[in-house]
Amino acid sequence: MSPKKWVISFLCCLAALPLLLAGFNFVVDPFGVFGNCTWYSFSETLNPRVAKISYLKEHFDQYDSYLVGCSSTSSFPVEDLNQYLDASFYNTIVYGADMSDSEKIVQYLLANDEVKNIVLNVYIDNGMVYGTGEDELTMKLPAEVSGAPALPYYLSYLFADPNYAFDKIEAAMEDSFLTKPFDVFNEETGAYDKRVRDIEHIGDMERYLEAYPEFVTYPHVPQTMEQIDACMESIQRIKEMCKAAGTTLYVVCAPVYSDYLANFTAEDIGAFYTALAQVTPYWDFSYSSVSEEPRYFYDATHFRNAVGTMALGRMFGNDTIYIPEDFGVYVTEQTVGEHIKTLTNRFEREDESYTQEVPILMYHHLSQETGSGTTISAAAFEDQIAALQANGYTAVTLEDLYDYVTYGTELPDKPIVITFDDGYESNYTLAYPILERYGFCGTIFTIGVSVGKDTYKDTGAAIIPHFDWEQAREMVASGVIEIGSHTYDFHQSEALDPAPVRSGVLQLPGESEEDYITAFRSDISRSLAEIEAGLGEPVHILAYPFGFYTELSQVLCREQGIYATLTVEERVNTLVKGLPQCLYGLGRFNVTESSGQELIARLEA
Amino acid sequence: MLLYYLLPKRVQWGLLLAASYGFYLAGGPSTIVYLLFTTAVTYGAGLLLGALNQKGKQLPPQDKKAGLQRIRSKKNAVVLLTCLVNFGLLYFLKYWGFTAEVLDQVTGISLAVPDLLMPLGISFYIFQSIGYVIDCHRGKYPPERNFFRYALFISFFPQVVQGPIARFDQLSPQLFSPKKLDYENLQYGIQLAMWGYFKKLVLAERIGVMVNTVYSDYGSYPGSILAFATLGYCIQLYCDFSGGIDITRGIAKMLGIDLAENFRCPIYARSLTDYWRRWHITLGSWMRDYVFYPLALSKPFRKLGSFGRAHLGGVMGKILATSAATFVVYFIIGIWHGANFRYIFYGFYNGILITAGLLLEPAFVKLRAKLPFSCDSRGFHGVQMVRTWLIVFVGRYITRAPRLLAAFVMLKETVLHFQPSALVDGTILTLGIGAMDYMVVFLGMAVILLVEWYQEKGGHARKWLSQRSACVQVGAIMIPLLVIVLLGAIGQNYVAAEFIYAQF
Repeated sequence: MSPKKWVISFLCCLAALPLLLAGFNFVVDPFGVFGNCTWYSFSETLNPRVAKISYLKEHFDQYDSYLVGCSSTSSFPVEDLNQYLDASFYNTIVYGADMSDSEKIVQYLLANDEVKNIVLNVYIDNGMVYGTGEDELTMKLPAEVSGAPALPYYLSYLFADPNYAFDKIEAAMEDSFLTKPFDVFNEETGAYDKRVRDIEHIGDMERYLEAYPEFVTYPHVPQTMEQIDACMESIQRIKEMCKAAGTTLYVVCAPVYSDYLANFTAEDIGAFYTALAQVTPYWDFSYSSVSEEPRYFYDATHFRNAVGTMALGRMFGNDTIYIPEDFGVYVTEQTVGEHIKTLTNRFEREDESYTQEVPILMYHHLSQETGSGTTISAAAFEDQIAALQANGYTAVTLEDLYDYVTYGTELPDKPIVITFDDGYESNYTLAYPILERYGFCGTIFTIGVSVGKDTYKDTGAAIIPHFDWEQAREMVASGVIEIGSHTYDFHQSEALDPAPVRSGVLQLPGESEEDYITAFRSDISRSLAEIEAGLGEPVHILAYPFGFYTELSQVLCREQGIYATLTVEERVNTLVKGLPQCLYGLGRFNVTESSGQELIARLEA
Repeated sequence: MLLYYLLPKRVQWGLLLAASYGFYLAGGPSTIVYLLFTTAVTYGAGLLLGALNQKGKQLPPQDKKAGLQRIRSKKNAVVLLTCLVNFGLLYFLKYWGFTAEVLDQVTGISLAVPDLLMPLGISFYIFQSIGYVIDCHRGKYPPERNFFRYALFISFFPQVVQGPIARFDQLSPQLFSPKKLDYENLQYGIQLAMWGYFKKLVLAERIGVMVNTVYSDYGSYPGSILAFATLGYCIQLYCDFSGGIDITRGIAKMLGIDLAENFRCPIYARSLTDYWRRWHITLGSWMRDYVFYPLALSKPFRKLGSFGRAHLGGVMGKILATSAATFVVYFIIGIWHGANFRYIFYGFYNGILITAGLLLEPAFVKLRAKLPFSCDSRGFHGVQMVRTWLIVFVGRYITRAPRLLAAFVMLKETVLHFQPSALVDGTILTLGIGAMDYMVVFLGMAVILLVEWYQEKGGHARKWLSQRSACVQVGAIMIPLLVIVLLGAIGQNYVAAEFIYAQF
């Protein structure tokens, strides 16, 4: 090749580079701008503003109502709204949204869909910044929403850093069933995918603060609200747009963690909420006893989904679920003056009124003789129950715990849960009569394959006999016993099962995630279905065989409608009203042959 | 570039001058006065020396000896003054802060240290202009009369920042001669620049992350990781510096100008002296011509030589003066690199080792004669190379460590607490770069060493490539381009999507 040809080839190659880049970005489309290789959850994580609109353009027919606002908007569950308003909500939350973003999004939605309801979240931050109009690839609004010229908009994504596209390819290879940092959105609801965060066990405050140290020393960073006027004008326009479109507008102010609220001056807070009342009446959840409880928050500016459920319950008059009395006030121009006082008059919260400590005991087989290992003699068992009664304990069921965290139904003093794993016949013959005699109740977790059996599956190997469905029905009918799942066939044994033997519900070595999930779902649903068939009523509780569990197993259990899972971690549980997720990963005390007094000493240590 | 070749040939160099000053201004406008100052002073000195030389030639025969003597002392005074002014400036800008610090620590006297910006490439252009002045003194060539042409020689933009240190008689004819568009030059220039970008952006920047991670927290790592990082630093330094020079030479080549080579496969050096002949060649040769020879030929050193021959006798006596001069040269090379104890020690380190090598040479010769194998064997060359690597490797601890003491601590750790297991237990993946990055650096270095080995053997990599098929040649354009763009240029400022809100 002559030097001249070489130089020309070089120049051609150089010119080809941008074309290659554009082609690559167009095809891989990490931001979901061009409608190729769509993976909305990934693209929404990169830039929710762009990708959510791309998603909606394809799915407008599925929704008739929208949530709009900054990231805290995510925690108002669309499922609850759909129920209350008989609508199909999509959560358009975008992180870091100011009111100008929200206004443009509302404008776009009204122009492109017949919208029944808009729920607009006005967060306290909205008074601080307005109309920053960020132009970064990860922050900008789609041209059709922002009104910016289309050509530079598309070119900016066409010639974006190819690392975004490479990231998408890499992420696609690493994608898994649970949320990864690169796909944090739930495509259908538009909200953050919080499957993992919503099964995370929440117990006593000490444990919580250890996991979330930011709440211990929350930094005091004074903030000023300089954009109140601009924000309110924007809300005024949103209100008018909705009115013109015949859309119902609900304005809510999301709960704010107390220490974060303390960053604002009383004057600013007063000015912000007064100005809002002059534009529109609104539901204000900004400050209440909820704000004083860190367990209700993911972090200082983001409240938990369970709190969103309470907020919507208050707004739509659901008086069955637990909602703290001071949580949520409907504010109008007339009432705002009084209301402001409650916002700036913060208080310490007393723990006792909404939390409860509950120990759970774990038994297995009972025998007439002195027990060993997990087996306990009937005499010792009776001695323990008698001691619990004498010391003021009252047995409750897991359903009672569910009622406490969900509906706020009070528990008796010193509640305790008595549980039995595996479903041995001795539970029926020995434990059940004792519990009944003392006015106690208990929970038995049955292994699907062992119900009514005294041999192991089809091996013929003799095992300790297990009660059958008739006995189970009798116990349940008496009100003394509650039944739960100990899985259908995930309680395998090295000695009796052919390899590979699963360790409890855990994934087998070398098993693909997909196969595992299929196996898990089929086992648990079979277990629940057989119990329902056997008892004539559904159950929603599960004890993990050997106590083994993972985040994934918790999520899969929740997916199956299970509201409480039990482990073998030795600790007293702390339940918080309004936080049903306290019931995932409950701790239990393994009880062996010991006197009643010894047990009491252990519980009260 | 296009403009350069379109302009009338007579004014091409004007464009280069404008570009050079434009480039320098873009780097930091306030420091251009230093460049202008040095240019003006050395330009004037050159003219003065030229005039004195001329005068010497025109001396009447009867007065020649005495007149030459007078002129010589005047010339010496001019050179001395120029050196004093320029090196004084360099000293003030580069070493004053260090002097003040040391003085403060030792005597408690605190000197004022003005907060001045270090002018870009000042060590390079001062050396280059002093070389010019000394050459004028020697009458090697007549001085440049046109100030602007001289200014271009000093400020020529591809090289002003990091060399190579050019000689006036080699560079200036090229700067001012008319240039026609030459595709071969363009091709070579582009290839060289791409090669340089590859070394600098893809390899040096990549491995540098790891080096910084370890060196900024050297107390937390076992010896093996420290050695690993130092090896990384050797790669980083070589790729960064030689890559930068390749880019410089490539750009100059595109303009039809050949700059001096600054590196010649230093990895194949068989001794420390050899290494310094292959690494930063133009600095070494500058030192040789303008420090070593004048020093060795100066009166005190000649006296030292006589003293040695008279009192020590033998080879030792003969080479005493040379060795002393060598030591001074390497000491200066050390402190040329920077103002602190590390570089002073680095100067000693190189100076002592090389001088010791010189002094012990007779012993080595005897020893070698007794060895049972030939010293020209490949095996022995290999051993010499490894020995040189080790010496250079230890030297790198000294230049890279945050403080001199830290270098000693790190060397001690390397020897006493090596812990080789840290190299395989995944620690190296926690040092800021991932397995992919190591792979890139490893493969990149393999390519570089292969090419250098081929060149060292006398092969001609470019020629070899130009004889391949068009397909291969286009591939050899596109693939490096993609590698440079994807693994080097982009990604440096890339902010992965911020997952600030993702944690909940």
